Amino acid sequence: MKSVLRQTSAILNLRTTSALFACAVCVNASGSIADEGKPVSGGTVIAALNSTTIPTLNTQLTSSVPALFAADVWADGLMTYDKEGKRLPRLATRWETSPDGKTYTFTLRDGVKWSDGKPFTADDVAFTLKNFGKFNTYLTKLMPLVDDVSAPNATTFVLKLKQPLTATLDLFDKEVFPLMPKHIYEGQDVATHPANLAPVGLGPFKFKSWASGQSITFVRNEHYWEKPKPYLDSVVFALIPNPQQRMNALVGGEINWFRPEVSQVKATQEAAKKGNFKVVQIVNNAPETAVVDLNLTREPLKSIKVRQALFHAIDRERIVQDVYQGLAATAKNAIPTQFKDLHDTSVNYDSLYAYDPVKAGKILDEAGYPLKDGKRFTIELTVISVPPYDAVARIVQSQWSQIGIDVKLSALDQQIWTNKVYTQRDFDASVISLTGRTNPVLGVDRSFVCNTGNVPYANPTGYCNPEFDRVALEASAAPLAEQKAHYKTYAEIIARDLNQLALTSSKVFEAVSTDMKGLDAQFNFSFNTHPNWAEAWLPADKQ
Amino acid sequence: MLRFILQRALYALPLILVIIVVMFTLLHLIPGDPVQALVGDYPVPPAYRQAIEEKYRLNDPFFVQVWNYVTAVLQGDFGYSYQNQRPVLGLILERAPRTILLASVGFAIAIPLGMTIGVITGTTRSATTDKVWTTSALVAYAIPAFWLGQLLVMFFALRLGWFPTQGIGPLVSRAHGFDWLLERARYLALPALAFAIHEGMRFARIMRASVIDTLSQGYIITARSKGLTRSQIISRHVLRNSSLPLVTIAGYAFGSALSGAVLLETVFTWPGLGLLMVDSIRLRDNLTVVGVVIFSAFAVILMNLLVDIFYALLDPRIRTGG
Repeated sequence: MKSVLRQTSAILNLRTTSALFACAVCVNASGSIADEGKPVSGGTVIAALNSTTIPTLNTQLTSSVPALFAADVWADGLMTYDKEGKRLPRLATRWETSPDGKTYTFTLRDGVKWSDGKPFTADDVAFTLKNFGKFNTYLTKLMPLVDDVSAPNATTFVLKLKQPLTATLDLFDKEVFPLMPKHIYEGQDVATHPANLAPVGLGPFKFKSWASGQSITFVRNEHYWEKPKPYLDSVVFALIPNPQQRMNALVGGEINWFRPEVSQVKATQEAAKKGNFKVVQIVNNAPETAVVDLNLTREPLKSIKVRQALFHAIDRERIVQDVYQGLAATAKNAIPTQFKDLHDTSVNYDSLYAYDPVKAGKILDEAGYPLKDGKRFTIELTVISVPPYDAVARIVQSQWSQIGIDVKLSALDQQIWTNKVYTQRDFDASVISLTGRTNPVLGVDRSFVCNTGNVPYANPTGYCNPEFDRVALEASAAPLAEQKAHYKTYAEIIARDLNQLALTSSKVFEAVSTDMKGLDAQFNFSFNTHPNWAEAWLPADKQ
Repeated sequence: MLRFILQRALYALPLILVIIVVMFTLLHLIPGDPVQALVGDYPVPPAYRQAIEEKYRLNDPFFVQVWNYVTAVLQGDFGYSYQNQRPVLGLILERAPRTILLASVGFAIAIPLGMTIGVITGTTRSATTDKVWTTSALVAYAIPAFWLGQLLVMFFALRLGWFPTQGIGPLVSRAHGFDWLLERARYLALPALAFAIHEGMRFARIMRASVIDTLSQGYIITARSKGLTRSQIISRHVLRNSSLPLVTIAGYAFGSALSGAVLLETVFTWPGLGLLMVDSIRLRDNLTVVGVVIFSAFAVILMNLLVDIFYALLDPRIRTGG
């Protein structure tokens, strides 16, 4: 029965995908593009990236934001997501899951070429998984489950797992799993290969040059499969590390696109009133959750009562308003609301842990921490000293102080903070914002699943609950139709144990020049995939 | 003179060695993980960590790393930047001219500016002129250069649109010849101005004090009694003699400016040594950090040498050892 369900859901998924894909095109054809005119070729767009040093462009090897933005220009993958979060085919035209949920068969687009003109085949996909999989941070859960990877013919890629992992398809979207050319990397050290900085890919543009500390230039990929796209002649990435300077550059008309930091969205919206650019909200963004991790190996945070009291003492709505200027929502439970099919609304922190300092005080009294000389206990709250984390931490500090907790704030350099929290585990409470990607397996599990090592950016709290780990594993392997129930249990356990206090879920905005057209199609994406540069075009008089 | 230069160079060698050891020790003590910086804010897969650590020998014992580095530096190899995937020396040689350009143009404006204000305020008989100029110079000097930079951007770039907001040059350009030069000059204008105002006001204050001191010297009274005009006295006697302290200060300031005006380069996204340093510290690209520091040390030593030579040219007493 389960297997039938799986197969049906896979077929349904494909059907929905095709229908949505058709619909996205029809909206564009009849809607905004009709107003904007027919796309014309030519012109250069300048987009800003937030660093002057980018160690690698290969997003099989990094999750850093500048590399991810750049990858949308030069790389492509098997599939992607539209703005509703539905899968869209890219280099895989269709995919099937076997009845036992262990075999995934991808049918690939025929006649596609790499940006250097060499043919793209299923061998490249198999090569990418075999050679980059072990280096890819998102695939750490999948790789131990891989039984066999094969390419029976040029357009078929088959993945066999030892046991089912329902999130498997989510691990093959173009951001998490960009495809790499076998003919470039074969037999060489892929982790430090020069092509990681001068990539050959399947995206709409190909790498041309890198002006150190200044810009990276990509030009039209003549071999791109989706003709007549791309429309632009080139996309240049300006390397501008300072957020204020990125905004200035857009206001000054020197660049055409950037993603504002949360703290500057309002200012960007204000500046956009002049009309030379607009601010677009990404409807279904990747979960970006601000959290407080609590060190459960230390007193008094060992006590569930204390953790619950600490949650009650935080006015999360104030963080939404003061730090995120209203451009965020309070986090509802451990499973972000963006995962519509998995998030259960019955577990809701807004009601479970409503802001109530009096109640928080009472719980602490009961837990054995009454006020003595106006103070209950001291904890160290550590944070990276950059916005918005520092502002979130200051609010948490002031609110915990109000119930008699002496909070010592340590605002640190990111590397020192990482070492303190994850390697040394020398902290009481720690503020950070974590990205969730497209599935709980990617980015949510890491906050709660037992982590006995000292790997950074994975559960530093010392929370090790075999019951929870079992639920997380079962949830990840359950058929699609049954997953929600498992993830409800998942959220309930975390709502009870609270090794991490989820504060807010922020919205994502992008600022783009009004010279650019085809924005509906360009911004038809969700989760972490970024503007679809193949769709962007400039009218002849703006080129 | 050659002996003097050689002597100075020999003094510099142990200093550079000490700098290398101190920098390595400090960087070794600061927590940080270059492999994590490569991956971002997701866990580093063990296989990737192993590959990178083996390739760049990040796990070699501390003393082995220092020894390998010192012996390599003596052969002209400043190591490999794993965050930029290229040799550190090439990276520094590429970035340094940008910083030198910014500092040189900044100083080329700051020195005459500072000298002019210094001479005006030092020689004026009007108390009001002195007060207005001195206070203005003090206020301008008190404004941090990076904040001044922001103000210049807001007014001249965003409001008036005369200059670009940031960068070292246009990312897309079809200009050639003189047009190309003019285009580049527009990008240089605001950072150089911010630099010049800040440094120039410092020079003005030093110059003023020095001019007042010179005016009280006996040879000035002699010159007056010989019937030289005021402007003759200033140009022939005051200017030259009052410039000595300025040369010292400007020399040191220029030397330290070559290590990169970190904040100013950040404000104007001027990709010189300052921005390289900030990025390298953030990404724990230690060999690049050490490389930039060695370059800065060289720059300071070199500028001190030039100051001594310039001193000798300005003041015959130093030249003749009298």
